[in-house]
Amino acid sequence: MNRVLNLAAFNIRVLLGDPTWFILSWALFALQLAIYGSLISRLVGSNLPNYFFFYSIGLMIIVVFESAEDVGRHFVEHAHEGELPYFLSLPVSRSGFLVAQAIYGVVNTLVKVAPPLLAVLFIWGNLTVSGALFALAALFLLGLGITGTMVSLSFIAFKAVDIYMAVLAGLSALLIRFSTVFYPLAIMPNYYSPVSVLSPLTYGADLTRWVLGFDPKYLLNPVLAAVVVTAIAVSTLSLSARIVDKIIEGVKAA
Amino acid sequence: METLSLSKRYGKTDALRELNFTVDEGEIMVILGPNGSGKTTLLMILCTILKPTSGTAKVMGIDVVEEGTKVREVMGIAFQEARGFWRHKPSSILRFHASMFDIDSMKRQDLIEQTMKDLELWESRDKKFMHLSGGQAKRLETAKVLVQRPKLAIFDEPTSQVDLRGKRKIWDKIRELRDQGSTVIVATNEVREAEYLADRVTILHQGHLVVRDSIPKLKDAIAGGDVVEVGFEGPVTDNLVAELKGLGGALALSPEGNELRAKVSRAEDWVPKMTSASYNLGAKISSIKITEPSLDDVFIHFTGKALIDQQ
Repeated sequence: MNRVLNLAAFNIRVLLGDPTWFILSWALFALQLAIYGSLISRLVGSNLPNYFFFYSIGLMIIVVFESAEDVGRHFVEHAHEGELPYFLSLPVSRSGFLVAQAIYGVVNTLVKVAPPLLAVLFIWGNLTVSGALFALAALFLLGLGITGTMVSLSFIAFKAVDIYMAVLAGLSALLIRFSTVFYPLAIMPNYYSPVSVLSPLTYGADLTRWVLGFDPKYLLNPVLAAVVVTAIAVSTLSLSARIVDKIIEGVKAA
Repeated sequence: METLSLSKRYGKTDALRELNFTVDEGEIMVILGPNGSGKTTLLMILCTILKPTSGTAKVMGIDVVEEGTKVREVMGIAFQEARGFWRHKPSSILRFHASMFDIDSMKRQDLIEQTMKDLELWESRDKKFMHLSGGQAKRLETAKVLVQRPKLAIFDEPTSQVDLRGKRKIWDKIRELRDQGSTVIVATNEVREAEYLADRVTILHQGHLVVRDSIPKLKDAIAGGDVVEVGFEGPVTDNLVAELKGLGGALALSPEGNELRAKVSRAEDWVPKMTSASYNLGAKISSIKITEPSLDDVFIHFTGKALIDQQ
């Protein structure tokens, strides 16, 4: 376990060594919320009370999704920059290696999402320790599930990076649009809502909103949401552990 | 270390074919072969990065597929391409590597400093990896294994991109590692590197193990491989040539004036007999020059192709 933590710490030091990306991420969040969020809230008006708050949580879900995507990309970059064979030669089990990647992903996500979350809760006068912790836990669980999905998909990049990038772009477009990230299930048309319940983001977003006290009539059942988010995290991480162990090879050489 | 019928296939290409290969404890085994012969594939399987298509490989009795983590605890590899981290400094890369292999934290810094000095990396300790020259990056790759001092040390073309002076240093450190008790495998396509390092050589060609033995035995296996040039004080007579032919062991004798050129399998056996026969016939010898076959000649002998042409 010590080696797994050591490996995770090494990657995290690299991550924290370049704070530019975090600052950019926070700035983008603030900009999006200040301009688009506030304007769209006026348009939505009375159809959905407190849409600005709804939207800001949705934006956080996007940050979590993109951070988890980063972990998959980071994994692929390791392979293409020649670092993956080195990591795979270290005395850490393949599942330990994956855990180290997941820890890296969690830190990456928390650093990107925690300050905006705290800021939003503070501005809305909704900042409590328990609320913030439960919301972070929900976002953390969702992040793990997306990380597992992205690492599972990364083996595609070992065959063709272009296909991997295309799959990633397509997947993110579909998962975000067909979800409750920006619009609640309750007001969606019938032809749209059945698809949205297939997106893991729907469950992560609604669970986080419920934890933070958003009107439950616009949200999925929180128990169902918690169960689905946990199940996705466990199953995708198990799948990615299997893929790392059985399929991925570090380098091809003749 | 041993492999049994080890094969690796990439699509329709066989990188390794039914390889049976052993390395004895405490020896330096050099794997010699041109690019594409399967050297790197073999090493990648041994260090558990690649999985074999069929067959088995064991390191110190531990199966590389079944117990990969245990294998990785006892082995260290210096890759063909230096595996660094672009924004890290050499010293931090070595510190991380040492910590992953549980090198005593009290000794770690001294060991790293000494290894970096030995490999002339100390002056570059504060440069980022991306600013190192190709040779420096390659020496850093070697330094990882030297700091680690694993029971099985693997070097994949350890001196490619390294200048002559640096090559000598790396070779000496690899031999030192062997003397300290490590078993060493070196893959190379450089004949000089193989000659300098090898206790035994394995020749790989197109995924096949062609031959495996010590360098002297491989050279002796070439019939007529040793060339002996003998200078006499007088002309070489037909009588002397006939007498030398009668000794056996020489595949060809070519007299020319005062000189005789002989192709023999084992010069160390033939020369004493030749000097004795010449003395008995009153032919005084003024010089003897023995030229052994090179490993390139050995490669040609066993594969029918020159190593250099295969690159």
